[in-house]
Amino acid sequence: MSLPGLELTQPSEERQLAVAPPSQIALNPGSEWRFEVAFGHLVKVKLLSGTAELFGTELAQLQTYTFHGTKGAIYTWHGCELEVSAGETVATTTDGVTPTAGHGAGGCQSEYTAEETPMVEYSNVHFALETMREEAQSVGKDGPRVLLLGPENAGKTSLAKILTAYATKVGRQPLVVNLDPTEGMLSVPGTLTAAAFRTMLDIEEGWGSSPMSGPSPVPVKLPLVYSYPMPNPLDAEGAIYRPIVSRLALSVTGRMAEDEDAREAGIIVDTPGILSSGKPGSLELINHIVTEFAITTILVIGSERLYSAMVKQYDDQPSSSATAAVFDERISVVKLSKSGGCVDRDVAFHKATRESQIRSYFFGNPIATTGTSALSLSSSSAVTLSPHAQQLDFAALPIYSYTVVSADDEDEDEYDPSQLDSFLPGGGSEDYTPHEPDNGTYLPSMGDTNQTPQSNVPLKKILPPAPSTLANTLLAITNAPTTASPSEVRDASIMGFLYVADVDADKGKIRVLAPVGGRVPPRAIIWSKRLPGEVVGLVG
Amino acid sequence: MSGLVSDEVAEDYKNNLEDLTTNDRFQISNLTVIAKENTEHAMAISRVLENHIRTTPPPQKLPALYVVDSIVKNVGTPYTLFLGRNMYQTFMNAYSLVDQQTRRKLDEMLRTWKEPVPGSLDTRPVFSPDITRNIENALIKARTAILENQKVRQPDIRGRSSATPTRWNPTPPHGTRPNHPVAGNGAFNTPTPPYGHRPDIQLESLNRDLEALIGSARNDFANSPFNPTSQQRLKALLDLQRILQSQQLPPDQLKTVRDQLATYAVPQAPAQENAAPVPAHPIPVATPPTLPASQPLQHMLNPDILAGLLKATAGNQQPTPPPQFAPGSFNISQMPTASTPQPAENPLIVALRARGLLPSASAPPSLASGTPPTGGSLPFMIPGQAQSTPPPATPQISMSSSSTVPMSTASMKIPRITLVVSLYEAKSNKCGTCGRRFPTTDEGREKKARHLDWHFKTNQRMADAAKRAQTRSWYVDERDWIKSREPSDDQNPDDTEATAEGSAGADGGSKQGPPKPWIRAPNEATLRNTPCPICQEKFESTWSEDVQDWIWQDAAKVGNRVYHASCYAEVTKDGPAPRASTPQARTGTPDSVLGKRKAEGESPGQKVRVKTEQ
Repeated sequence: MSLPGLELTQPSEERQLAVAPPSQIALNPGSEWRFEVAFGHLVKVKLLSGTAELFGTELAQLQTYTFHGTKGAIYTWHGCELEVSAGETVATTTDGVTPTAGHGAGGCQSEYTAEETPMVEYSNVHFALETMREEAQSVGKDGPRVLLLGPENAGKTSLAKILTAYATKVGRQPLVVNLDPTEGMLSVPGTLTAAAFRTMLDIEEGWGSSPMSGPSPVPVKLPLVYSYPMPNPLDAEGAIYRPIVSRLALSVTGRMAEDEDAREAGIIVDTPGILSSGKPGSLELINHIVTEFAITTILVIGSERLYSAMVKQYDDQPSSSATAAVFDERISVVKLSKSGGCVDRDVAFHKATRESQIRSYFFGNPIATTGTSALSLSSSSAVTLSPHAQQLDFAALPIYSYTVVSADDEDEDEYDPSQLDSFLPGGGSEDYTPHEPDNGTYLPSMGDTNQTPQSNVPLKKILPPAPSTLANTLLAITNAPTTASPSEVRDASIMGFLYVADVDADKGKIRVLAPVGGRVPPRAIIWSKRLPGEVVGLVG
Repeated sequence: MSGLVSDEVAEDYKNNLEDLTTNDRFQISNLTVIAKENTEHAMAISRVLENHIRTTPPPQKLPALYVVDSIVKNVGTPYTLFLGRNMYQTFMNAYSLVDQQTRRKLDEMLRTWKEPVPGSLDTRPVFSPDITRNIENALIKARTAILENQKVRQPDIRGRSSATPTRWNPTPPHGTRPNHPVAGNGAFNTPTPPYGHRPDIQLESLNRDLEALIGSARNDFANSPFNPTSQQRLKALLDLQRILQSQQLPPDQLKTVRDQLATYAVPQAPAQENAAPVPAHPIPVATPPTLPASQPLQHMLNPDILAGLLKATAGNQQPTPPPQFAPGSFNISQMPTASTPQPAENPLIVALRARGLLPSASAPPSLASGTPPTGGSLPFMIPGQAQSTPPPATPQISMSSSSTVPMSTASMKIPRITLVVSLYEAKSNKCGTCGRRFPTTDEGREKKARHLDWHFKTNQRMADAAKRAQTRSWYVDERDWIKSREPSDDQNPDDTEATAEGSAGADGGSKQGPPKPWIRAPNEATLRNTPCPICQEKFESTWSEDVQDWIWQDAAKVGNRVYHASCYAEVTKDGPAPRASTPQARTGTPDSVLGKRKAEGESPGQKVRVKTEQ
């Protein structure tokens, strides 16, 4: 299956490109090598000498790191020499993606060396945080809670990785919170997650992997996952996003209270770029996050306007921590430069990233990774997972769906009210108006009868027959019981995901792929309809 | 290829190097061959070479540098890279200590480094032009400075310097004569003027130094206008100059500024002048301060600054030197105060501090700590020099260890390269597989050993696991996540198991609990009514006197689900070792392949629940 708009489907002559010979790249101290690798193509990078780090995580010397479908930068403090070579094309791409080699070294789509980076600033952020952590350690207060703000593609997540990697490098264990539903940290997109990082980040896999039944060459991270299956946190005036953030913050605070290491190291919160866009309601959401996580440090990347707004509102204000008064804890707002290496990720790249994340959730990482290839004789160092396919009775599944129309992308998204209406008792006659905010609280006027008392949650159970649009999407299994109220379902953490391979509306069956064998847990399920959305061809 | 570890190779190499005392062609080529045969230990060998050049007596520096020359020309990478990294210090340090004749030879050698290897197809120069250019610039500036000085000042020391071969000759009298501290003593004491004249002179000399620094910072800035480091430095220096010119400062504060200014330049000036008086003094009052973190300093190296400093300090070598060159008063009385910031802080000091040029007041450098220098690993402290450790160097140390970095936009712009050290050199023991770093302490080594064990076990397990189907685990729920603790790969896995599962054992297992695997009955209604996924039968709660709780016999929690242990064993007969969590478990209970599994497999939440119903 081809991915429209992605360069993967270029004419086959591209494929005829001779495999580029390994090229060596020498980096001066303080410079970085920026590279983009297309999906389906492999680029191998080896550190020959010196030191080098990818978003703060240090590369081991003479180990081969394989990259695919990524845009990254390898920075060096001391200078280094890298060897870049093209990997064999991915044989495991079952969906017919045509791997394409770029014209750069090793077949990168684009690669160049940059002398000018904001790494001095970013490292200083780490050192300043270390100062705060040391202080926290000595006086017994909580470590710094950092909020990263900035527009899309400003490098927020990269900075979050750098700060996390440096913290783990000096032996800290920060809690990293991802509030960007499109990011999918340690999970798939459409989620908000939190995880404690003690071990190294995965060079090749971004944040790393969540636990599997088998071993992993890079220690796995244990995420706490909530479902937010929409790209925009401002949907429904933030009425869905906000309570989930609160819930996540509660869990994170709970962890802080019990886990001494996490308490000292503090929290790093990554946010979606849209919060920094100045859209109506975004400042309120930022305020919500600042309050819920008792943020002490706000880092604004690449937005002068937002920085000044943040300074005005928060700088030198007491943090919302319960102990803020005791320790005179005040919020500091810091402006950081955006890296010149930040590139826009287009829709196609996002889509391909999502697909790759979903694929690796179910199937693991089929590409040989580091660490093992050098030591074990078997070349199969890749972790391959075997999900289980099974048929489920649709009627028995308590599947909920958010009935929210996004203001900005309703025409682009395949939200189809008529489709949904047919499953509602009221048929197509329901006058559903998602946008009727009443003093900030969202109260959809459901002229309906089957709503529970807590019906202000725009979460509706999908009743049979199974909608055909369910096919090729993900279902998030919550930890909430099947009888839970919509708000409980909304706030519940996620156990995992099912992939709907097939819908047989006539028989009322759906064929799903579950990560783990055995019966699907009897829990409330949220349909991840809009994010990550449709992924075609995951199964044969 | 030898299978020896780097340390052994390095030790061997070191011994061989120590035998090299003259320019012996055979020995040098022999050392080159050894280096060639051990390229996998290139880093270790390069370090040995650097250390050797630094520590060996001046007459033996040239042969050692010739070994370097031979290696980089005959072997090339990776040695060029490893040696190139610190070549500036190595070269400048040696250059500053050898006699004029040797210097000429070093000049010649440097010239060949700018050209491709003779007879080689590679058209690149031996060392990257950056490296050679830096060295050359520094040398040129030093020469220019000394020429100027000779014109303007009375050259009273010059005559003497030719007598001692280890001293700077036409180049600035460098004063770092580690092997002849006593000789140096006399040389320095003679021209010392009475202390009383000082303040004005001091200010003058300070301004001169400052100008020099500014000049070099300007050059630096011109060379790389976008480098925030140089921008910042230039700006800070200009500000300082403005303050100095507009305000009258008491001498003691001037002194502080002076010292700090030197500090600022010290990383750029490995063998700088103002360090000299310390060894010169017969009583080693302020002797060997350590440079525990001195390796990092090399990263601050900036040739232009060095040149500026050389130039500036060349001026200090005059009959009327600035106060810090008055050995008596400086060493004994001034030292302690000089290194500690003045109690009443001048705006200038505050300004400097805000810019990160001064350490915070709470971090007085431990000047006379007297710990012996750690010799070998220090990039430019040769043993003799160690006693001349410049006072200014100590603030650097305090910066790297206990400095406080304020969280503010302005503070973020200040380069703190020394702190980067805490990320790298502070933990120099690197795992070759994943790049994780460990300290070189015993504890660090132990951790690394465990970490390597972890790699080894993981690899074994991965090989095993490849034969079985593996699956993504369910995510944990909130309670389990809050209770979970990140397993570390550098802990003893048995320890982790023990601590993590110990509570379960303490609860029941150790008190001769039920003979079969069991778990506490969940108190959540749905969970309690969930049947075993395999036989679809519900679990039966029984009261256990030992546990003092309701339990499910023959039950095991796997992932988020509870199975009959016997059912599960039946299904997973080919499974590996039994779980450590249930000591009584029969083989075939779910595998705890990694410590990580315990987080979800063994819900700690259940251990604390109190059963109140049923």
